[in-house]
Amino acid sequence: MRNLKTWFKTIIFYEILVGMKATLTHLLRYKPITLQYPHEKRTLPDSYRGMLCLLRYDDGTEKCVGCDLCEAACPSRVIKVVSAEVPGEPTKRYAKRYTMDMTRCLFCGLCVDACPVDALGMTREFEWAVYDKRQLLLNKEQLLAIGDRSFPVREKKLELQHPNVAFFNVAFKHMPAKEG
Amino acid sequence: MAEVGLKLAFSLAQIAVVMGVVMLTVMFLTLAERKVLGWMQDRMGPMEVGPYGVLQPIADGLKLFFKEDIIPAGANKFLFSLAPILALVPALIGFAVVPFGPNETVELFGVQFKPFVISDINIGILYILAFTSIGAYGVILGGWASNSKYSLLGGLRSAAQVISYELNVGLAIVGVLLLAGSLSLVKIAEAQSGWFWNWYIFAPPFPQIFAFVVYVISAVAETNRVPFDLPEAESELVAGFFTEYSGMRFAFYFLAEYANMILVSCIAAALFLGGWNAPAPFLQFHGGLAHLAWLSGTFWFAVKVYFFLFLFFWLRATLPRLRYDQLMRFGWKVMLPIALGNILITSIAAYLFPR
Ligand code: SF4
Ligand code: SF4
Repeated sequence: MRNLKTWFKTIIFYEILVGMKATLTHLLRYKPITLQYPHEKRTLPDSYRGMLCLLRYDDGTEKCVGCDLCEAACPSRVIKVVSAEVPGEPTKRYAKRYTMDMTRCLFCGLCVDACPVDALGMTREFEWAVYDKRQLLLNKEQLLAIGDRSFPVREKKLELQHPNVAFFNVAFKHMPAKEG
Repeated sequence: MAEVGLKLAFSLAQIAVVMGVVMLTVMFLTLAERKVLGWMQDRMGPMEVGPYGVLQPIADGLKLFFKEDIIPAGANKFLFSLAPILALVPALIGFAVVPFGPNETVELFGVQFKPFVISDINIGILYILAFTSIGAYGVILGGWASNSKYSLLGGLRSAAQVISYELNVGLAIVGVLLLAGSLSLVKIAEAQSGWFWNWYIFAPPFPQIFAFVVYVISAVAETNRVPFDLPEAESELVAGFFTEYSGMRFAFYFLAEYANMILVSCIAAALFLGGWNAPAPFLQFHGGLAHLAWLSGTFWFAVKVYFFLFLFFWLRATLPRLRYDQLMRFGWKVMLPIALGNILITSIAAYLFPR
């Protein structure tokens, strides 16, 4: 009996008819879930990881000290840093050239984590479609510009800096300050 | 002499109208397909060009015209250019014998002509079968002439598939031919007038419902539509036989596919669903209002054809693609015996209960 039933179902293409009924119900109760992207945009979550940028201190100087750690941390070799001494100040270094090839970036954020001075940040920009791939090879000025427009107000961190780590933007709270 | 000239002019005008309507339908079928598929999958489909995207086919056409036309270096240039045309032309030629409306003769300027069929030849259905099988050459040559292994594989798959299912199409039709006793599409459609139970799908002495199912499935397979779109199979293979094609040549294959869809829908409507006949006699205008009779005829024909076209979309929205061995097994072990059995029973029934 049961066999007969399955046979009958096979003959009339029962499964296919069930599927076709499902698609037809969707057609009749048509309710699109489409977001018409360029016209409407969804609100991004706060933790969204978009375009990378370089940040500045409040006084407008660059945070990056050209330590190359981001380059080392990047799994897809996006970043290229050429560092140099600040003329006249042998202890200070800066990134003379800093390029990011965003065509390869997978927005993992490892470089941001790796940076000891918080010089890198991730913005919520995502509309970076271009006609020429070469436009995605960003240099330092472009990355700083992105930072400037994404973070116009920076946290005041200069004062928090520990004198021992003069160029690091991290407050080393557990370390006693050097006398004098 | 003048009579011949007039006849020629009428024929040319008819051909122009039919081609125009078919090409326009093809154009907007591409849009309709994307819209219907979208709606069935809770999407919107094309929305950008024109209000609700209705001008999308025009934008697509413009894009295809301006695309770079590439012929691969190792390709056989002549066959490479010929193949898309070989695919498209047979699909369009088939429309010559399709009756789009009532079989009436009109006298205009002293010349008799039939407004709703370009050419009522008495082997109409054979003619269509013969030409649609030429369409397979377009696909196979397209795969072979591009000099690419993947295209060749696509073309070969298509060849095997089209041959297997062409056979079933032919056999499914035989039942109807036995009942109608004619190969002319006009005669077959005319024989189904009256109530809808006179249509060959329900007709006594033996309803051709099995043949109809076999025909529809084989027609889907023959036009390379989902779930039988193995020649293309763009998601698994390197886009099938048209891998190396670009621009308008590429478009020709799709025009051919859609024209074929319309053609097989027309045949299905004419053979199984009564052609231009309304489901009930009172829905068909007769006699005095001659123009209304024409209109109602074409209207019912169009309704049936569009139902089939919708069915194509519907199937595409629902079914996944068949595996190649399943496809072959289904064609040869299921469809073929059903079609043969149908011929046997129909011939016995037609012999015992002649109409
Ligand atoms: S986000 Fe990841 S991939 Fe991109 S630059 Fe940073 S480390 Fe490299
Ligand atoms: S961005 Fe940070 S990690 Fe990279 S070179 Fe500059 S300071 Fe070092």
